Amino acid sequence: MASEEVARDVLQRTFVKGGRYRQAVIVLAAVFLLGVVGFILKLGQDRTQWGYYAATFSYLFTVAQTAPVVSVAMRLAKNHWRRPLARASELFAVVGLFNLLLFIPLLILLPSIEGRNTIWILGVWPSRFYTPHIFDTLMLVGLVVLGLLFLWTAAVPDFAAARDQRGGQGRYAFLAMGWQGTVRQWRVQRALLGLLGGLYFMDVLTTHFLIASDFSMGLVPGWVDSIYPAFHAITGLQAAVAVTIVTMFLLRTVGGYREYLPMESFWGLSKILLALSLMWFYFWWSAFITFWYGRMPVEQNIVQLIMFGPYRPFFVTAFLFCCIFAIGLLIWNPLRKSPAALAAIATMILVGGFFDRMRLYVSSWSLATTTDHTLTTVPAAIWPQVPDLLVIAGGLAGAVLVYLLATRIVPVMSIWEMKELRLYQVPRQLVRRRMLSLGKPD
Amino acid sequence: MANQAVLGLYRTPEAAADAVGNLQQAGVADHDYEIMTGVPYPEGTFGEPPVRHKLYVFPFIGAIIGFTLAVVEGAGTQLAYPMVTGGKPILSIPPIIIISYELTLLGAIVFTVIGIIFESRLPRPALGAYDTRITEGLIGVVCTCSEERVEEVRGLLQRAAAIEVKVGQG
Amino acid sequence: MQDRRTLTDIQVNETLTNTVLKTPLLWYVIVAFMGGIVLLGVLAVGLLVNLGQGLNGYNRPVMWAFFLTNMVFWIGISHAGVMLSAILRLAQAEFRRPATRAAEVLTVFALATAGLMPIVHLGRLWRAYWVFPYDFSRGIWPDIRSQAVWDPHAISTYLIGSSLFIFVALIPDLAVLRDRTTGIVHSIYTLLALGWRGTVRQWRLQAIAGIILSALLLPVFVSVHSIVSWDFSMLIGVPSWHTTIFAPYFVIGAVHSGVAGVITVMILMRWLFGWHDYIRREHIDSLGRLLFVVALAWFFFFMLEFMFGLYHQEGTEMVVRELWLFHAPWNAIFVIFILTAFIIPVPLWLFRSVRRSFPLMFFTTILVNIGMWLERFLLIIPGLMRKQPFTFSWGEYAPSVFEIIIITATFALVATMILLFARAFPLIPLGDAKEARVLRDEIRIGRRTVQAVLREE
Repeated sequence: MASEEVARDVLQRTFVKGGRYRQAVIVLAAVFLLGVVGFILKLGQDRTQWGYYAATFSYLFTVAQTAPVVSVAMRLAKNHWRRPLARASELFAVVGLFNLLLFIPLLILLPSIEGRNTIWILGVWPSRFYTPHIFDTLMLVGLVVLGLLFLWTAAVPDFAAARDQRGGQGRYAFLAMGWQGTVRQWRVQRALLGLLGGLYFMDVLTTHFLIASDFSMGLVPGWVDSIYPAFHAITGLQAAVAVTIVTMFLLRTVGGYREYLPMESFWGLSKILLALSLMWFYFWWSAFITFWYGRMPVEQNIVQLIMFGPYRPFFVTAFLFCCIFAIGLLIWNPLRKSPAALAAIATMILVGGFFDRMRLYVSSWSLATTTDHTLTTVPAAIWPQVPDLLVIAGGLAGAVLVYLLATRIVPVMSIWEMKELRLYQVPRQLVRRRMLSLGKPD
Repeated sequence: MANQAVLGLYRTPEAAADAVGNLQQAGVADHDYEIMTGVPYPEGTFGEPPVRHKLYVFPFIGAIIGFTLAVVEGAGTQLAYPMVTGGKPILSIPPIIIISYELTLLGAIVFTVIGIIFESRLPRPALGAYDTRITEGLIGVVCTCSEERVEEVRGLLQRAAAIEVKVGQG
Repeated sequence: MQDRRTLTDIQVNETLTNTVLKTPLLWYVIVAFMGGIVLLGVLAVGLLVNLGQGLNGYNRPVMWAFFLTNMVFWIGISHAGVMLSAILRLAQAEFRRPATRAAEVLTVFALATAGLMPIVHLGRLWRAYWVFPYDFSRGIWPDIRSQAVWDPHAISTYLIGSSLFIFVALIPDLAVLRDRTTGIVHSIYTLLALGWRGTVRQWRLQAIAGIILSALLLPVFVSVHSIVSWDFSMLIGVPSWHTTIFAPYFVIGAVHSGVAGVITVMILMRWLFGWHDYIRREHIDSLGRLLFVVALAWFFFFMLEFMFGLYHQEGTEMVVRELWLFHAPWNAIFVIFILTAFIIPVPLWLFRSVRRSFPLMFFTTILVNIGMWLERFLLIIPGLMRKQPFTFSWGEYAPSVFEIIIITATFALVATMILLFARAFPLIPLGDAKEARVLRDEIRIGRRTVQAVLREE
């Protein structure tokens, strides 16, 4: 397909949505409203009953707000197969706005640091809002802002294409910010993408550290686990790659973008997904073996709490889906070469990821006392009630809804990068073999 | 009748590919000719069929052997001298996992190397039809045939602009 | 911008086998010098065995010191081989070509040297074999529940695997040496080359072998340094060691120091052997970018480890951090460590001109390894010095001259072994160098010509 046709085709799909899109929006909006009902029903409940809500927030942060890192990292690696998936992963930054709303009740519910041994300094005013509240909020807000800026910077040339197609007026004229495609503008855009991408990546890792430490580990007396933030981040990356694959698959089959999403992109991501699944096991094992080996009572209790005790079904599901089955299936080339099989595996990983967040957050929020020195007894499991199920469904539906609505404005395929690919990818003949010549931009 | 090996040497990959094409058109079977280069070319560059091999079987066999040895060592040593150390159970599974992880991979690696050497048809005591200039950039196309066909094959290889054609024992 | 000449196969053969077939005089001088230092180290070990471990600086409670630090350091350096060779091979990165064999060779010799360290540290060297499950005549088996038994399994696996990896990839180059030598040397290379002829089948299997072995060695590489880290983190008696982050922290630190070590070796190779056409600015530029990313990842894990010592305000951890920051000479060592391992080199690597400068990259990578050696030193000794909950059991440590000699000798040992290897085998894979020429292409975009690589569709 020629470059001009790419722009026309992608923009057409952005502006004109079919019946299935409208149906999806209606269903998701309805489920989201049910989630709001569930939230209202939960108001007034004790903090220990809010673990499923915290798990939903953490899951959305893990999946959606880590997803743009896929684009950032692939851009740094300068490979060409990232181009079709770049925008799809960058778009997840808008879900951060929704997640920021979900964050607010957690800020209010988070217990005070008084009476706990912690690095955070007690604040003075207002009385309940000490650090970590301030730092965590700053990092999360910063992450959302950086994500949106990154998305906007990456999409500016496409907004300009939309502006030009629509006669130079309207919201795209604003979004395009006068883009003309001069050499200088392209250079500035590339530099900005590098800078914003780097900052976003660092912010994501820091926010993983803060959310994991303050909203999970810090609530459990005696749980000192230095790998936990890294585990949180790695599982986030795994989920981010998985959600990108699922999105690509849906775009290819339901969205009609088959021609833009070649096997090569799925193949490239599948290798990364396998590596991250292996790292899931590695990071989990590093924590487990350290706690298992020493036989210290507090560490044995923590292992019971988050792995083999009351939340064992959650842990086993997460372990099997995110780790054992994922690795066992992804090592097979034929499966990695099938977009449908890959999407199924990615979906399994996403499901497992949610169970993982539940076992970590529901368990840590279930403890009534946060000020003991060590964990001496493991409390019984808190199983989800109807309001919890509504909140989970509503949260996930709301996130997908926000993403879908964003695709009405932002083209889900990066037009300028697809056009650029045609410059750098040329078929060649090497004696009797057909090859592809891939240019290396400096 | 003893087979003869006819070796043609070429300066360019295109000439070597022409030689291979000539042999294929003359009905020479794929297992009767080989292309030798001093540098790896992408598969199919000379129009040859894809390489068939069973290399993937070897790492699996090695892994199974390694895993079995590891479990025997891990469980066997613990049960043979049952002593509680550090409060850990006598038959502790996590250390067995670590030992079996290492020995499974070691078994897979060792057997992969055996497989590579075997599938590459090595070691080969005598080089047979070969020229040392192949490692200096020339491309060799060697065809094994009966004595009656030697002249025909020589002609096929010469037609593709060979710089030299040699005949030796197959 | 990429600067290179197009070289014929004959030129490639001649230049890259010059260490084997036309060894420069300087090689002999350096080997003799390094060999002398190694002999000095052997003498020091002999004295330790004869006169006892009292000759080194060990003193309660610091019973693990220089030798274990050095072991961890060399295992770290050994990680470069798999990182560069395996990961970059799987990623099909073109800039790996001149680095792979040097990295793999550095791996094997660094690993062998690292394996010597716990044996020297033992004191009774002749009992080192007890760690292997060979015999029950003593009525006792090695306890696989101990992390000290996991170590030899991991190191042996890595050593055997890396050695086999080198040999398999070396076969085509042995064939080149076979074809260019005569006499007894020719016979030896003929034996080692196993009859390689360079058929399409053999080359295809070489490529597949590279991928399979890379995929198998990668998990080994991760596990080796993790298991070495568990030598420390399994122990609950040393609170600053008992932390879950040690495994990935050690691994990423190993990659950091290992890749820096490979860059150092490559620049030395270029200078010593005149390989200007093969080790070019674009290679160290790409490796420098990789090193930058690795350094950032290392810093993330370092901050995690440091922060978690402080997060829960536990006294036993706080006291070690306090030693690092507020007590001489440990605070000086800490400052030198963080400056050399990160603060000086990493911002410099942001600049393309630095990454493409051989002297600056040589200098910064040496700094990194100074810093990383000090990092391991700071991880091990202060934790032991403040091990006990009672302050009257706290102790001090200072290295003895014997330890310093032995540590220096290990550096000389690795250098000697690499140089001896270069005397017998080429340090840059010939097939890789020639393949780069086959796959090289150019794409014209307007007035600009962009370098390209041919890939299978």
